[in-house]
Amino acid sequence: MRALVRTATRPYVCPSCQLGRLSARRRFASASTPSSASPEIYDVVCVGGGPAGLGLLAALRATPATSKLKVALVETQDLQKARSWSLDAQHYSNRVSSLTPSSVSFLQKIGVWDHVDTARVQPYQEMQVWDGETGSRITFDWSMETSPFEDLRTVATMTENSNLVRALLSRIAESGDEDLSIFSNTTVSSIANGSDIPDGPDLSAWPVLSLAPTTSSSAQPPKQIAARLLVGADGINSPVRRFADISTSGWDYDRHGVVATLSLSDLDPVHSTPNIKTAFQRFLPALGGPIALLPLPNNTASLVWSTTVAHAAYLKSLPPRAFIATVNAAFRLSMTDLTYMLRMERPSASSPTSTDSSSSSSSAVDPHEDELTWRLQHTPQPRKPSQLPPLVTGVQEGSVASFPLRFRHASTYISPRVALVGDAAHVIHPLAGQGLNLGLGDVAALAQTVEYAATHGMDVGDLLTLERYAGERFATNAKIGGACDVLHKLYNVPGNGPVAWARSFGLDVIDAVPFVKGLLMRGAQ
Amino acid sequence: MASRRALRTLKHLATRRAHSTSSVSANELSHFSALASSWWDPQGPSRVLHLMNPLRHDFIASCLSDAAPPPPPPSASSPAPSPATNPNTLRYLDIGCGGGIFAESLARSISTSPASQTATPTRAASITAIDPSTTLIQIARDHARLDPTVDAHLRSGRFEYKNCTLEDLIASQQTPPSTSTPTPEKYDIVTLFEVIEHIESTPSAGISPQSFLTDCLRLVRPGGWLIGSTIARTFPSWLVNQVIAEAPWPIGVVPRGTHEWQKFVNPGELEGWVQEGLMRAADGRAVRAGAAALEGMRWKCVGVVYFPGFGWKLVPGSESWGNYFWAVRKGV
Repeated sequence: MRALVRTATRPYVCPSCQLGRLSARRRFASASTPSSASPEIYDVVCVGGGPAGLGLLAALRATPATSKLKVALVETQDLQKARSWSLDAQHYSNRVSSLTPSSVSFLQKIGVWDHVDTARVQPYQEMQVWDGETGSRITFDWSMETSPFEDLRTVATMTENSNLVRALLSRIAESGDEDLSIFSNTTVSSIANGSDIPDGPDLSAWPVLSLAPTTSSSAQPPKQIAARLLVGADGINSPVRRFADISTSGWDYDRHGVVATLSLSDLDPVHSTPNIKTAFQRFLPALGGPIALLPLPNNTASLVWSTTVAHAAYLKSLPPRAFIATVNAAFRLSMTDLTYMLRMERPSASSPTSTDSSSSSSSAVDPHEDELTWRLQHTPQPRKPSQLPPLVTGVQEGSVASFPLRFRHASTYISPRVALVGDAAHVIHPLAGQGLNLGLGDVAALAQTVEYAATHGMDVGDLLTLERYAGERFATNAKIGGACDVLHKLYNVPGNGPVAWARSFGLDVIDAVPFVKGLLMRGAQ
Repeated sequence: MASRRALRTLKHLATRRAHSTSSVSANELSHFSALASSWWDPQGPSRVLHLMNPLRHDFIASCLSDAAPPPPPPSASSPAPSPATNPNTLRYLDIGCGGGIFAESLARSISTSPASQTATPTRAASITAIDPSTTLIQIARDHARLDPTVDAHLRSGRFEYKNCTLEDLIASQQTPPSTSTPTPEKYDIVTLFEVIEHIESTPSAGISPQSFLTDCLRLVRPGGWLIGSTIARTFPSWLVNQVIAEAPWPIGVVPRGTHEWQKFVNPGELEGWVQEGLMRAADGRAVRAGAAALEGMRWKCVGVVYFPGFGWKLVPGSESWGNYFWAVRKGV
């Protein structure tokens, strides 16, 4: 009877009471560590020291109105390693991102760009995208809005994530250590609501984090910190999101992104324009996703090849010469030829060792190379050679890796005293290279929201404050994530059926009408 | 939009103030009592009011940039830090603070480090907030404890909630036990947000918005500001505030019965009352101050419009459409 009454009255429980029930449930713990000591109070606590979390910290420190806020950052990894990261000019990390001009201008505004090693970043002014099935092609550049007398504007800028993270850390260090705590090598062992402190503030609706150092000196008790605003920049499995009881929806694409750092043959001086760098992306509907070659300095490039899990495993197992031949084939051969090459028996003799061993045995014929040479003779090539990327000649040792592709979107980005940014809020298909840019967009919006709150007497963790952030970002991210998802699905329909015809027709129309293309490109910024 | 003040409990009125000369209106009682529990619910009936609060800070900042109050006179009794080192010296009084939406946000803007050299947007050093409703003051105090910064200000005395009427406040200050200060304690900024349209006009008892404003102005230091907001009594405002804003959900955003259109005040009327109030406030026991009291005064008025889905925006020239901010600076 009582249960029945409860069910019947449930719709009449007012929203704020429901909210009360919800906040009572809020808890995240991997180890129970009850503590009665009153916690140290911070204005903003950011969990996660990736580009998004560090970006938020740098933005808050760079803005006069928010630079006096007491902020903390918690990161499991050793940030000292990220600070001292360095590679020589011939080697590039395989974790790279394509920064849109608005991301770059945000980084310039908060003074981070000065700390980026610009010798290691590569802006590009043109993007060639084509359909491997139908050959339909689109060229993205700003030529329709550029007079013949000025340089082409940048479409995007390639940078290694490590270069960006190092710059962010160095910018944060430059801002001094007043009101700033960085807990490196530290995990969040639990998050729970605080308590009503007698003769003190009532923190019963404040998230309180228990911090434990990863370097197993378990003698000291876990540190307790309370957050006026707890920011989850802690990735796809965000503990902060679990604490706030925010659900996510999404799916796994059943695809992997294969990445590698490649060196390219010298550009053909006749057909290439010296000051124009180009990114290339070819959709391979028969193989599960696009392959992209993104320019880096010193005639190197970064590969991102989204493909089925089986193909990804096959590619990773290939010896360097066979891998290079397959990448070159993927930009040139027909779907049928490519599918054949990805089913060829792996060269048995070679365990995939180093480039040295392959060059020493260069006289021997690699079956993939052989296959490519033979099949290229029977494949029609585009009229303009600049529509194809230069030939790949080498792969940096140890740079071939892969990661699973997923789509996730949190049902909301905010909860009382909690905000989610970056991958904790959304994970999207990398085909448009928008993931990090969305994260930086979140950070810019959240920093602006915090600044507004700080100058208007608002509580930075209050739902009324955070509404501004969620209102600005949720629809934008859903739109871009959704667009990438639709493109992925559209370009996974193999063969020459109506879908292939329609998508090619659409691509041709967009390429032909400057107005539509300009609109799209501005949207992608 | 203006549900913030005037929440009064029957008991309170019956026991203490039923026959006193108070500006408190008994008629608004039952309406605002019902809202008390949801005062701080961001999705509750006071949501539109919460959304307006940041604009009050903007308006105050614009007043301060027009003409900042002069630095406080050196006085031994005042614990205010010296202006040479600290630009945040202003003393605020919020009349009719209700559940504390504005008072708490202002308290949050008080710098926690007294040695701070940088000017905050409000330049606040302290705030006293008064409201005649025991229920609302309790709600305000309870809510303030949820923020350690505000809680610390309450404990240090830089922020104070007083459960009293304006008349009580003046009376308590005019009858000091000692002879130390014969004149009322004065404030740099006195705020009166969404109050004036809830004031009971009882000519028989000598109570009117005019007398209320005169009392407010008595508490403003020379060179200080009286800043408020209210709603104009015009046809567009009747349409917006009575017909649309108090319409049933989902159109309406304000609880039914929040406003009485007849009590709304037009900017012109308000300016007249304020000028009269400035002269009356300057009247001595034997002498009438006259127009000399208006010397150096400044009048400021700007409309504010709520766009559903976008929030409040300051729209200069829209004063007569409905909601507007107003401010008057007392001559130095």
